[in-house]
Amino acid sequence: MLNIRNFTILTEKICQNIRLLSAAVPQPSSTSNNPLASTEVSQTVKEDVLKHPDYFNVHNLFTVKDLFEARVHYGHREGSLDNKMLPYIYGSRLGYTIFDLDKTAEYLRHALNIAAHVAYRGGIILFFMRSPQNAHLVERYAKECGEFAHTRFWRGGIFTNAEKQFKAVTRLPDLCIFLNTLNTILTQHTAVRDSAKMGIATIGIVDSNCNPNLITYPVPGNDDTPIAIELYCKLFKEAILRGKAKRKEHLEL
Amino acid sequence: MLRQISRLVDPLKGRNLSLTSSCVESKLLRTSQFSTNASESNAVEDVDTKKTLNKAMRTYLERAREHDEFMKTQRREFEIGKRHLANMMGENPDTFTQEDIDNAIAYLFPSGLYEKKARPMMKPPEEVFPQRKAAEFDETGRPYHFLFYTGRPNFYQILHEAVQHIIELNKFEDAMIRKKLEPDPNLTLELSGSKWIEKEILETNLVETITDKEYSSFINVMDRLASLPYSYRIKDLIMQYRKSLINQSKTFEAIIPQLDENGRQFVSVYECRRKRATASVTVRSPGTGKITINDLGIDYFNGVQQREQASVVWYNIFDRFRGKQQKPRFFYCTEKQRIIMHQRPTHGMGQQRTIGRNNV
Repeated sequence: MLNIRNFTILTEKICQNIRLLSAAVPQPSSTSNNPLASTEVSQTVKEDVLKHPDYFNVHNLFTVKDLFEARVHYGHREGSLDNKMLPYIYGSRLGYTIFDLDKTAEYLRHALNIAAHVAYRGGIILFFMRSPQNAHLVERYAKECGEFAHTRFWRGGIFTNAEKQFKAVTRLPDLCIFLNTLNTILTQHTAVRDSAKMGIATIGIVDSNCNPNLITYPVPGNDDTPIAIELYCKLFKEAILRGKAKRKEHLEL
Repeated sequence: MLRQISRLVDPLKGRNLSLTSSCVESKLLRTSQFSTNASESNAVEDVDTKKTLNKAMRTYLERAREHDEFMKTQRREFEIGKRHLANMMGENPDTFTQEDIDNAIAYLFPSGLYEKKARPMMKPPEEVFPQRKAAEFDETGRPYHFLFYTGRPNFYQILHEAVQHIIELNKFEDAMIRKKLEPDPNLTLELSGSKWIEKEILETNLVETITDKEYSSFINVMDRLASLPYSYRIKDLIMQYRKSLINQSKTFEAIIPQLDENGRQFVSVYECRRKRATASVTVRSPGTGKITINDLGIDYFNGVQQREQASVVWYNIFDRFRGKQQKPRFFYCTEKQRIIMHQRPTHGMGQQRTIGRNNV
C-alpha cells in the first residue's frame, strides 16, 4: 500500500501536467457568448473578485468529516481501478479502493469556487447524471438553484451540432458539472468529450473506475451512493446560490 | 452608467432586469441632451440593443418576425378566400362561419377519399400550420426551462413531475402505515374504461416530437404512478393523460321488468327482426324453463341451426333482463324461466302465425 502512495505523488504531478495539455481549459475571452464580457459589474470589482483566492467562502461549505460521513471515500474494486486515478487514492481495504479525502476536499473546494465564479458571471451551468437512481435528485437540485440538468439519454450533437438539434442558434452552457462521468453502460459520457471539443469547462466527480483526463476540474470521489450525490448537489447548489447572490448585490450597486 | 441603462432598456421585450423609473428619466434626458435628431438616436440605440442581445435571441426574434409575417399573409388570404366562397354560395360574407365553409367545400369538391385528412379543406391558418414554440431563452440566451438541454423539456418535465409524485405518495403511504391506516378502498382509482393518451396526441400537447422509446418510458412511469395505493390523491393529474373509451354497458338502458297479474316479472320485446321474419319475445321471471314458440316447444324448428339462432335471441333478452337485476338465474336457461315467442312473417309472406304455448 505504501508503494502505491509513493507512486501517487509522482504520478499526480505528471497527471496534472497532462491534464493541462489535454483538457478543455476555457480561455478568458471576450466573445459575445459571455453576457458579462462588457461591463455590467465594473471592471475593478470583477478583478477584485477574481484575485481573491476564495471570494465566495466556499471553503466553509463542508469539512472532510462531512465527506467521510457521506461515504465519498469509497471507490470501486481494485480490479476496475483506472491508473490515472492513482494519485487520488489513499489505499485499498478489503479489495476496494479508498480515496484520499484530504485531496478530494482540496479538489472539491477548487471546483466549488469555479462554480460560484461562473454563476457570479451569469454563466449557464448544466448538471449531468446518468444513473437512474439519482437522476431525479440531480434534476431537483438543478431546478432549485435555477440552473439546468440533463440526466437522460444523450443524443449526439447537442453541443457539437446545437444549431440543428435545437433548430436555432443556441447558447451552450458555460460549465458542465458531471456528478458521474460514465453513462449507463459504464463508458465515458459522450458529453465529456463534446464539452472538451467545444471548449466548455467541466467539473466531474471521478470515481476510481473513471478517466479524469478530459475533465477540466476533476473531483475524485464516490459517484454512486445517493447520500454522496446529495452532498455534492447541496454543495454545488449552495456555491452557485452564493455566486448569484453576489452578482445580484453587485448589479444593484 | 448611461450605456448600462440603455442596454437594460430593451425595446423588443418588456423583460428588463432592474429598470427603475429613474433609469427611464435619465435615458430620456440623455436622448434629449445629446441627440441632434431622432433618427440618429434611434440608430445608436439599435446598435446598443444588438450588442446586448445574445446571438441566439437575435436569430430567434428574426425568425419569429418572419413567421408572424407569413401567418399574417396566410390569414389575409384566408379571409379573402372566405369572402369569395361566401359570394359563390350566395351567402352573406360577414356572417359566413367555419361550419358554412366546411359545408361549401364538401359541396363544391365532393370527395370519396376514405381518409378525412386527405379531403379538400379550408381551415384558418392557425389550424393548418403547426404551432411553434415561443422563445425558449431570454435576452442573454439563458433558457427558461431547467431541462432545456435535453431537447424535449416539456416531455421530460412530465416524467420529472411524475417521479416527484411517486416519491411524495410513497412518503405519504409510509406515514399512513405508521398511523396504522389503510387506503380507502372506495376511493381506489378506477382506470378501466380509459387508456393512456396516444403518442400523437401527447406530441401535439407537448409541441415536441418523441420517439417510441420515450413514449414507452412515459407509459411505464404513468403505470407505476397509477398503481400506487394512494394514487387517487392525484387523480386529476393522472386522468389528464388518460382518454376515456366509450363504454357500452354504461350507456345502455336496461328494460325495466313489468309485473303481471300474478306478481311475476316479465319483459316483452317487440319487433325482433331476422330477415323477413318478425318476432315478439316475452321473458318471465321466475320462470319454468320451458320454451314456447307458436304453441310448440323448441322442436318447432326442425333444423339445428334455427334452434341455435332462437336461443341466441333468448340469450340477448336475458342479457337485457340482467342489466337491471344481476342474478345468475337470468344468465342461464334454467327450469325456472318461461319464454313465449311469437313469430310471424312480415307482410306478403302468408298468413300471420302466432306461435306459443302457455305453460304454467
